[in-house]
Order: sequence, then C-alpha cells, then structure tokens
Amino acid sequence: MEEKILKKDEIGKLYSEFGSEYNFYAPVKKKGNIVFEKIENPDDIKLDYLNSRIPPKSILFPQSEVLFEYSLDEKDVEITDRQDLDEKYMILGIRPCDAYSYVLFANFFSSHGNWKDEIYLKKKENTTLIGIGCNTPRTTCFCTSVGGNPFNKENMDVFLRDLGETYLVEAISDKGKEIVKKLSWLSDANDKDVKKSQELAKQAEESIVTKMDVDKIVNTLETSFDHPVWDEISEVCIGCGSCSYLCPTCTCFDVIDETDQYEHKGRRIRIWDTCQSCLYTLETSGHNPRDTKIQRCRNRIMHKFSYYPTNYDLLGCVGCGRCIMVCPANNDLRDHLRKIEKIEKKEENVVV
Amino acid sequence: MGIETENKEIEIGIRENAKKLLSEKQVDVVIGYSEGTVPLSSTPIIIRKEEDVDKLVWNNLCYINIARYLAPLMPQLCDSEGNSLKIGIVAKGCVGRAVNILATEKQVNLENIKMIGFNCNGNVNRSRIDLEIGEKEILEILIVDNDIIVKGKDWEQKFPYDEYINELCKVCQVKSPSATAESCVGECQELESIHDEFADVAEFETKSAEEKWAYIKEALEPCTLCYSCRQACPVCYCNLCFVDQNLPVWFGKTTELTDVIIFHLIRAFHLAGRCVACGACSSVCPVGIDLNIITRKLEEIVKKRYNFTSGLSAETVPPMMDFSMDDEEEFMLEED
Repeated sequence: MEEKILKKDEIGKLYSEFGSEYNFYAPVKKKGNIVFEKIENPDDIKLDYLNSRIPPKSILFPQSEVLFEYSLDEKDVEITDRQDLDEKYMILGIRPCDAYSYVLFANFFSSHGNWKDEIYLKKKENTTLIGIGCNTPRTTCFCTSVGGNPFNKENMDVFLRDLGETYLVEAISDKGKEIVKKLSWLSDANDKDVKKSQELAKQAEESIVTKMDVDKIVNTLETSFDHPVWDEISEVCIGCGSCSYLCPTCTCFDVIDETDQYEHKGRRIRIWDTCQSCLYTLETSGHNPRDTKIQRCRNRIMHKFSYYPTNYDLLGCVGCGRCIMVCPANNDLRDHLRKIEKIEKKEENVVV
Repeated sequence: MGIETENKEIEIGIRENAKKLLSEKQVDVVIGYSEGTVPLSSTPIIIRKEEDVDKLVWNNLCYINIARYLAPLMPQLCDSEGNSLKIGIVAKGCVGRAVNILATEKQVNLENIKMIGFNCNGNVNRSRIDLEIGEKEILEILIVDNDIIVKGKDWEQKFPYDEYINELCKVCQVKSPSATAESCVGECQELESIHDEFADVAEFETKSAEEKWAYIKEALEPCTLCYSCRQACPVCYCNLCFVDQNLPVWFGKTTELTDVIIFHLIRAFHLAGRCVACGACSSVCPVGIDLNIITRKLEEIVKKRYNFTSGLSAETVPPMMDFSMDDEEEFMLEED
C-alpha cells in the first residue's frame, strides 16, 4: 500500500529529518493564538488546531519584507539583492484552504503581463507542503461552497490525515514522493486506516453547515455595483483592516523606501496593505476614487467574488471564515453573501 | 438579582425607550446592539422602524463603543443632504462618556442625540475566555445566574461572571451616562465627580522599568497594525491619523517593534484625559492585545493633577483642551 502511517509521537522525527535542510514551519500555540512559526523545538508543534489566527500566507509573504537594500552617494546607487531566495521551506500542518491560497498568490504574482515577482515565486518553488486534513471545520467555515473541501489534497506535496493515534501519510506530488521515500522508518498503512480516513473526511464535509450558491453570487455581482445592498453591508463596519490582514488570499501591499541619510544607505520594503484603509486608493492629486466605507466594503467582496472570477477564472476566497471570526463589529461575510445571493439579477443592467 | 435577570430588565428598558423615541418622532433612528452571528460577539445595529426594536439586545457582549459611529458621522446616519439625523443611542456608561467627550470637542451636536441610558453591568472578557478555551470551537454563550456558561460540541465550561468581565469593567465607576440636560432618557445618573482607586495602576507600578518595558514589548509582539483598536476607539476620529501621514512619512510602517510601539504609545498619549475606559480597543483586537494599563495610568495622572474624569459632562472643558496661567510646569525642569 502506498499510504504510510506516522505515529503522533514521531512528529519530532520529521523535524530532525528535515529541520536542517529546510526552514521548517509548523503551527504552534503562542499566547493563545495558533500561528505558523519557524520551528526550533519540535515539541512546540501543534497539529490538532481549528485554524491559525494569522494565515500561513505570512510565511512566504511576510507582513513586512525587505525586497532589496541599497547604498547611495551623489553619483551612484548600489543595489544588494536578496541572497536568501534559494533557501528551502517546509510547511507542516497547513490546511487545504490555506494551501489553496498559495495557488492564488502564485497566480497574482505571475499574472501581470510579462512581469513575474521573482521573490515570491522562487520561495513558492522552494516550498514543500505537508498538509493536514481538517477533521473539525468550524461553523464559520464554508470551503465546500467555494470549490474547496476539508480534505482537499490537490495543492499539497504530502497529505496527512489525523486518525486519532496516528496520521495516515500520502505522497501527492513528485516532491512529496521524494520526501516520503526518505522517511523509510514509516510503517505501512492497512485498509482499515484508509477506510477510517475516508469516514473522517466524509464526516468533516458533512459537518460544514454554511452553504451558498457562489456561482449565483458571482453572476449577480456583475450587475450589482450600484445596488443599495452595499449601504447595508458597510453599515456597521468600523473600517479596520483585520478582515484583509488575516485573509489568506489578500495580496495587496505597499512599497516604501527607508533611507538612512547619515549612513547613505537604505532598504526597500514591501508591507501588507488593505483596501479597507482610506489611504489605499488615495491618488497624488488628492482625489480618492474610493473615499467612503461603502465603496471600500464593496471592493473587498467584489475583488474576491467578481474581479477574481472575471480576470483569472478563479475565486478569491477559500472559505476559511477568518474574517467572520475576527471582525470587531461582527460584520459577517456569510450574511453579506446571502444578501447578494437573494438579489434578482436585472439583465438590462449588464455592462458590456 | 442575578446578571441574567438584570440583563432582561435592561433589555426591556432599552426596547421600551427606543420604541417611545421612535414613535414620538423624537429620533429618526436608534443605534444599539443586536445578537451576534458568532459566539462571544454582538453586532451594532441601526433601528429605523418601531417594529424592529425587539432586535435590540443587552447580553454583556456589547463591547463596541457605538459612539464611534457618531464621529465621523457614518453616512447611514445622515439625510440625503448630508445633515445629521436625530439619533437615539443605546448608552452604557462609557458610550455616554464618549458622547460627552465628542460634544466638548465639537464633534457631535447633542441636540441631535438622545442617549438611552441604563446601568451597565459589564462586558465579558472575550479574549480571556477565548484564550482559556483554546482549540475547541465555542458554539454558545449563556449567562445563567452569575456565571458565564460556554458551550461547545459535547463540552461545557463555567466561568464566574465577576471574574471574567473586562478588567476595565471591574474598576468602572460610571455605569450609566450622565444625565446631561435633554439628551438622556432611561436610567441616567448625576455624575458630577467620581472617586477612582487606581489599585490596578499601583500594582503595575511595583514593576521595575525593565519589567514594564518587557511587558509592553511582549504584549505588542503579535500586533499586525490592522488598526482595529484605533478604528474601534470612539475618540480616535482624526481625519488623518499620524501613522497614515505619508507626506512626509512621520513614522515607519513596518511591524518591527519600534514602529509598532510608537503607534501604540502615541495613540495612548492622544487619549490623555479623553479615554473613556470602554475597553473597545482590547475587546476588538484580533490577536488579543490589551494595553489598557497605559490608558489607566493616564487617567490617574489627569485625575490627580486636574481632578478630571473624562466624559462626565458635556460642559466641562477637558484639561488638554484648556490651559491656565497657573498651571504647574514642574515637569519641564525636574527629573523623575
């Protein structure tokens, strides 16, 4: 049988096997929140978690990231590029929803004409995902409505399924097969293990209570740009950025230069930005095409459920429910989508 | 009387007053709280019709300070010409304080506002409960007698109410809005002055400077600069916050500790004599940061130096908006 069995107390052995070759990331509990961190002590790894508060997008797309450093004098600028792009990453314990967000990121960073974002794409290429199925989706989860599944293994290299005492290990990609081959100490799985994992997957899928007709939503949004529903949706939003900062698919960033005038050097930094900030679309002229909360709230939903499908034929939401959990005003995305779902589409409004 | 019964009475009072204000056309809308869609939350709501008042709730999870919707006034509270509607606002003590501060700072016109006052019995410390429950999904929160009952699938945990409310609610002395002329209906009280003990501040001050610094650094380590604390703050209403200034850039925007600390400390300083101790900033933080001890210290300084407590009245000018030639300036020369 191709599937293998990893005992729960052997997780540390994965780290000792790969910790020196890879930057080894896994979920750990830090001050009550689950976060993905570079592991130094394998005892910290916590795989039985609901979902991390901060999405693992931050591993390959840190909140602030130095793109390059420079030194300058009156005549010349000298640029020092990143030297660490060949480093390898291994991410253990990533959920299917978050793993799919990496696909969206890679798409975003490679689909602007001929320009490719070397920094992100190289890191992505050097990354191995050892994902894990989601036995207990939250009530706020809706991955099955956006094309996902709690046991979707598609975007993983190796996929684990938690069977209680052990993990069922399945190699998915060629990269994953190489990894599993190296773990010669894994025992073979039997039919009972596979059957149990299938039952767990079925249970998990059935436990997802939020269901939406996302195709209808995408379709309705095409003609709903000026619909009064946006007034309602934005009503109690307080205008912070937690929904987008903690969204695994939000890619927006700002770029700033920090120059040290005395030392004649500096660095260019990429920092997460959010379309919920009033500065986001502020133009040099002083004009701001999205200067109200209503427009900004609309943009967040439009981007994920209309612009993404139109431009890339992909959905920009993975259904993880983080924005629902963290919104200070409990401005629930599920409610918004249901409201949009109910709008009757008027054909004459279609913009051609 | 148990918290549960108190809540029911408060809720009935809020609904009755809201209904009265709407039916008598004293207000066009009422802002209050409604049941949240996830446990440990509530959603602010705008009630426009009398028949909707039963959507208003009081359940000790109403942590947003809804005065923040008044400044800047949200578009849904304006008429088609952009003028303020007549607004009824469900006002626990700290919402009332915030409305008064906004009035003294000329951000709201009290003529347009009716506060529906009641004696607040505190808000559940949601981050603390979240932290103690850990990686189990909370499905329901109930207040039964004087306990907070947290339920999940196949499990239940009980927390004593008095212990698990916000730290600021524990020391709160302003349970209801002050009976500012004309603006208050319901249970509003005369609050000319209050006495506050600041035992929490005194306790923090027993730490050494290094320990305090370590505490602040550790607290701020997970900050993502999402600014939900600023956005939730009823008295943070600047058109352009100092951290958003980009011509020139005043402060770094990275999540390195220096930048994060500068944001949090300067925001705290801007709240001297203005913070209304509602705890919205810590309640809304998606990563559970609570630095209220700093604003408590500022509250203490302002209280001791100027005998002033923010938001007790809409008439008294706050000390930081005022000066007197006799103001002591010993801090200009002296070293601590």
